[in-house]
Amino acid sequence: MNQVSVLAQNIPVESSAEAPLLEVRDFSLRRKKATVLDRITLSLNPGETLGLIGESGAGKSTLAMALIGLLRAPEVEIEGSLRFRGTELTALKEADFRRLRGNKIGLIFQDATAALNPCFTVGKQIAEPLRRHLGLSASACRARAVELMQSVGIPEPRLRLDAYPHELSGGMQQRVMIAIALACNPELLLADEPTSALDVTIQAQIMELILDRVRALNSSAIFVLHDLALGAQVCDRIAVMYAGQIVEEGPSECVLNAPLHPYTQGLKSCVVELGMPTLTPIPGQIPPLDAMPNGCRFAPRCPKAQAICGEQRPEAHTRDERQVACWFID
Amino acid sequence: MWQATFTKLGQTLLVLLLVSVASFSFLKLAPGDPVTIMLGSDYSKASYDQLTQELGLDQPVIVQYGHWLANFVQGDWGTSYITNQNIFELAVFQALPVTLTLAAFSLLIALVIGIPTGVMAALYRNSWVDVLATTLAIGGNAFPSFYLGIILIWVFGVGLGWFPTLGFVAPWDDFWQGMWHLALPAITLGAWYVGLIARITRSSLLEVMGQPYILAAKARGEPGWRVVWVHGMRNVLMPLVTVIGLQLGGMLRGAVMTEVVFSLPGLGMMITSAVLNREYIVIQAGIMLTGVLFVVLNLMVDQTYQFLDPRLRRRK
Ligand SMILES: Nc1ncnc2c1ncn2[C@@H]1O[C@H](COP(=O)(O)OP(=O)(O)O)[C@@H](O)[C@H]1O
Ligand code: SF4
Ligand SMILES: [Mg+2]
Repeated sequence: MNQVSVLAQNIPVESSAEAPLLEVRDFSLRRKKATVLDRITLSLNPGETLGLIGESGAGKSTLAMALIGLLRAPEVEIEGSLRFRGTELTALKEADFRRLRGNKIGLIFQDATAALNPCFTVGKQIAEPLRRHLGLSASACRARAVELMQSVGIPEPRLRLDAYPHELSGGMQQRVMIAIALACNPELLLADEPTSALDVTIQAQIMELILDRVRALNSSAIFVLHDLALGAQVCDRIAVMYAGQIVEEGPSECVLNAPLHPYTQGLKSCVVELGMPTLTPIPGQIPPLDAMPNGCRFAPRCPKAQAICGEQRPEAHTRDERQVACWFID
Repeated sequence: MWQATFTKLGQTLLVLLLVSVASFSFLKLAPGDPVTIMLGSDYSKASYDQLTQELGLDQPVIVQYGHWLANFVQGDWGTSYITNQNIFELAVFQALPVTLTLAAFSLLIALVIGIPTGVMAALYRNSWVDVLATTLAIGGNAFPSFYLGIILIWVFGVGLGWFPTLGFVAPWDDFWQGMWHLALPAITLGAWYVGLIARITRSSLLEVMGQPYILAAKARGEPGWRVVWVHGMRNVLMPLVTVIGLQLGGMLRGAVMTEVVFSLPGLGMMITSAVLNREYIVIQAGIMLTGVLFVVLNLMVDQTYQFLDPRLRRRK
């Protein structure tokens, strides 16, 4: 851990303890008129971990990509605000945003095999953010890359430095990915289903590793997961997403033990009944983006739906520390 | 890995064997009796028999083939009836370097123009740049290269007088003179390749840019130009080399045509004039040498590919 603290001193601390590290307010994202993210609001304090939970297609990856600025394209329409350390990301120039990527904001991809360039050694790929953002010399990069590989549990890092991705196992590749994402001690780590492409036997191990590193660096993290129970176990807070909206958000224990939104309740009962997560726990599926219901987007699948649900969109209520978007909260 | 090398080696030898059989039978099947041709119109039965014996033509065909192959491998390719030149020297030291220089220079031009065009077309796809690049690519491919050569000679050689219209100066003797003489032929031969290279670059880069590792490079804060030219193009090199390899035959054919149009003393020119003069042993040497060249170039492409793709390299 000593090498970590040495580097941490170089990073200016701009955020005071009380101010949230990340504040997302009424953030919407449209692709070809289809609303992929609809008025997302959430905030994350320094050192806090948030789990984004939801079925496939809910918009979790899209939100993560938007946060690291990889969806800044003419065909992607954006509205609302993303504040990171007090900086408005949506107004940031590309050159300035680039300085955050891989530096203050790290991203772990779902499939490390696909996310590592097959033509470059892992040492080179770990060194890239070090050179770009910290301006380390080639030899310092190598030394630091070895330290990083050690910190993510890669045995014999000096030998592995010059290995190509295909020479490593899936688990080792994901460890490399983690080392890259954490290379510059990011204040915010985004992990998009970091273990779902891995063998079940090492999933827990890799998850534990990421959590360890996040705690050691005192970073905040957003974990994209589709398992509510795992999310609640791993994260301080949980945000449940459905069809591009956050339907419920709050402290993990509350959301898991006393879910208020019918969708969260459905997710939970499925976990309890089957003892394991499934991809579509609730009958039916997310409606296609171009055929979203006008009212509550969950209405077609909701066991508690009433007439109003089909007509008017439920606004998010705040209850204690939670926000819930449903007309009928028990 | 070793097995692959041996398989490759076996294949190569087989191809060379087939080429040699083909060019040997070519001489056997060619009209006219070589002894009669060599002796001229006035000869006696005794001198005819003597020469037949000297040439080994009274032996069984398989023995003749063995002799011929042994001679060929030793560089004993005979002497031209017309110029009295040693054919090995003519083919290997005079004609081959011309053809290789022309082909290399054309490939260079095609890469220098084709790659940036393909990259621009991919980055600004469906824009006017893309439409222009695609049109040029298809045009360059469809336009007969001898016709382009004639137009170039006409406009830049005869009309404007900027470039010489024929002849070859070795760039290693006089670099600028050499380049100057090679410019029009290389453009003629390269034009056909430009379109191909631009098209492959465009489609491969489009595919590569959609890969997660490109997104991952961006997520590390890599600037756009590096994402394209380093992370992207490094992965485009492999399909590019594959296509260059597949088109080697086309390149050699194109070189023959171009040499004739521009009167360059390369292999193509050598074979063409040998055909016109019915110098069968020169044609035979030309076929053999072209075959060997093709095989060697193919092996080089293969090695380059292995070198470029880390997944095919042997583990240290
Ligand atoms: N590149 C894209 N172009 C158009 N639509 C996309 C693209 N990527 C994702 N989407 C759509 O956005 C929605 C959310 O996708 P995603 O963020 O990947 O969901 P999740 O990560 O929760 O599974 C889906 O309906 C998906 O079809
Ligand atoms: S608003 Fe109505 S349809 Fe939507 S989740 Fe609540 S009860 Fe169900
Ligand atoms: Mg996803």
